[in-house]
Amino acid sequence: MNVLEPHEWRHKTIVAGTEWKNPVGTASGTFQLDACGDYYDVSQMGAICTKGVSPVPWEGNPSPRTAEGPSSMVNAVGLQNPGVDHYLVDELPRLKKLGAMVITNVAGHSDEDYAQVVEKLADSEADMLEINVSCPNVSHGGMSVGTDPVVLSRLIKHLRTLTDKPMIVKLSPNVTDIVQIAHAAVDAGADALSLINTLVGMRIDINTGKPIIANRTGGVSGPAIFPIALSFVWRVRQAIPDIPIIGIGGIDSGEKALEYLYAGANAVEVGAAALVDPTAPMRVARELDDLLDSRPELAAKLAKGQTW
Amino acid sequence: MSATAFMPTVTTGTVERQANQAGRKPGRRTDEVIRASILSEGIYELVIRDPYVACTVQPAQFVNLYPADARMALPRPFGVAKVDDDDVTLIYQIVGAGTAEFSLLQAGDVIDVLGPLGKPFDTSKPANYVLVGGGLGVPPLLYAAQKLSERNDGTQVTSVFGYRDARFADDLVAPFADKTHSIVNAEGNVVDLLNDIEDELSSADHPPVILSCGPTPMMKAVAAWASKRDIPAQLSLEARMGCGYGACVACVVDTPSGRLKVCKDGPVFTIEELGWEA
Repeated sequence: MNVLEPHEWRHKTIVAGTEWKNPVGTASGTFQLDACGDYYDVSQMGAICTKGVSPVPWEGNPSPRTAEGPSSMVNAVGLQNPGVDHYLVDELPRLKKLGAMVITNVAGHSDEDYAQVVEKLADSEADMLEINVSCPNVSHGGMSVGTDPVVLSRLIKHLRTLTDKPMIVKLSPNVTDIVQIAHAAVDAGADALSLINTLVGMRIDINTGKPIIANRTGGVSGPAIFPIALSFVWRVRQAIPDIPIIGIGGIDSGEKALEYLYAGANAVEVGAAALVDPTAPMRVARELDDLLDSRPELAAKLAKGQTW
Repeated sequence: MSATAFMPTVTTGTVERQANQAGRKPGRRTDEVIRASILSEGIYELVIRDPYVACTVQPAQFVNLYPADARMALPRPFGVAKVDDDDVTLIYQIVGAGTAEFSLLQAGDVIDVLGPLGKPFDTSKPANYVLVGGGLGVPPLLYAAQKLSERNDGTQVTSVFGYRDARFADDLVAPFADKTHSIVNAEGNVVDLLNDIEDELSSADHPPVILSCGPTPMMKAVAAWASKRDIPAQLSLEARMGCGYGACVACVVDTPSGRLKVCKDGPVFTIEELGWEA
């Protein structure tokens, strides 16, 4: 029951021209090959979305980096990563050798940062790029890009000229009108959208009166954000019928993944649930695969990459 | 909410076989509580039946326990204190809602578990292993004493435990240690004890190797004491963790090599790795 048996996938899905074994991927920031690969065969996931990759190594934020909220976690890791050059010689080749479909999450503090990473990935084995314009835990770049449609549009237009790879733009929920932001990304050349990134939140230690997290605020994820994230996917789908959408937020079961598909997502990514059980992404993928057996119309849409 | 709210899918010996067949570690699973008792005032002992942990865990490795109340999304990490056949003993103190929930467990209840996790102490060489622990850093050292006592290579075990008040672990370590020493807060600290027994350590058959676990200020003091004397030391760090298995990168410690994950790169580090030389 605890070690997952091999599974024959029945419901592949097409996202922006890429074929996934199933509609379930890992969410950025919750997957580390050296940790998660101990628990399941990562090549069997629909896609592996890597942690944010920056042009140079980032040491991230000081500790403590996490706190617990009601049915949620608050984190401010700050995109600690060894940089794109290390990623290209170490992590990406290992993921591709395993046979995984790889979405490389691209992080930056400036337009030039993003451009450097995208340029270096343009001829790499990465299958898709996910532009992280929505991390709430970096002081420059991240969410400050993804909350301004003009700034976002300028960035995506520039990145579009640098790569032919399918480019996903990951949206922030911390905006007044996500539909406006989504339109800006799509009009600038995004091939797909993923949403949502974490919501800004915090916890305070009542013994000290000070924030628990060293960064003071962090990103909220986990089951608590599920209904919120689902509504964001639904709203963007209503406004933009023909763009692939990857739904993210609070998915810890096949049933919740199915709700995202009905809301208009073409695929989903599992994040915080994997921090509670490392096998959760694979378990969700299997549960959804089984559920789709009784939803032939939905399964056919996924297989054709149709949107809703 | 009671832990019994979960459907009991109690672990059996098949977990280990499944893991071996798949070449993978088992994920979160549900274990049966064999015994739950108060060890000392505010100190609780929890015995769970987990054959996989029992046959694979090494000293300083830990397991995640998950509150049944789903409002608490994150696991709580606990070092293993003892293993008897398929049964794994954990010792803890109530520090928040999660541990408060665990303190209500009774024999026959169930609890969700993941592990063993983390990098263990390196005890590959025969030595006089000096186990230096403070507070709730003591339980992982109890398991180190148990494992080291099983060897027949001249390895010796000396315990040096510091307690806030009650000496809750002296009786537990005694069957496995060649020499035991302890001190309570009012009498001093473990560095005072180390000073007291310095001659004893140098007269043992093997040179000393310190294995330590406890609050960070204590560990820094132990590191300073050991490095001044060129005594090798391995320190098992405590940290506020997210996942506990290396995915979330929440529990980092600053080292000369950058920010390392306590849960996956550790919890055991050498003084040199941490840059904590005196």
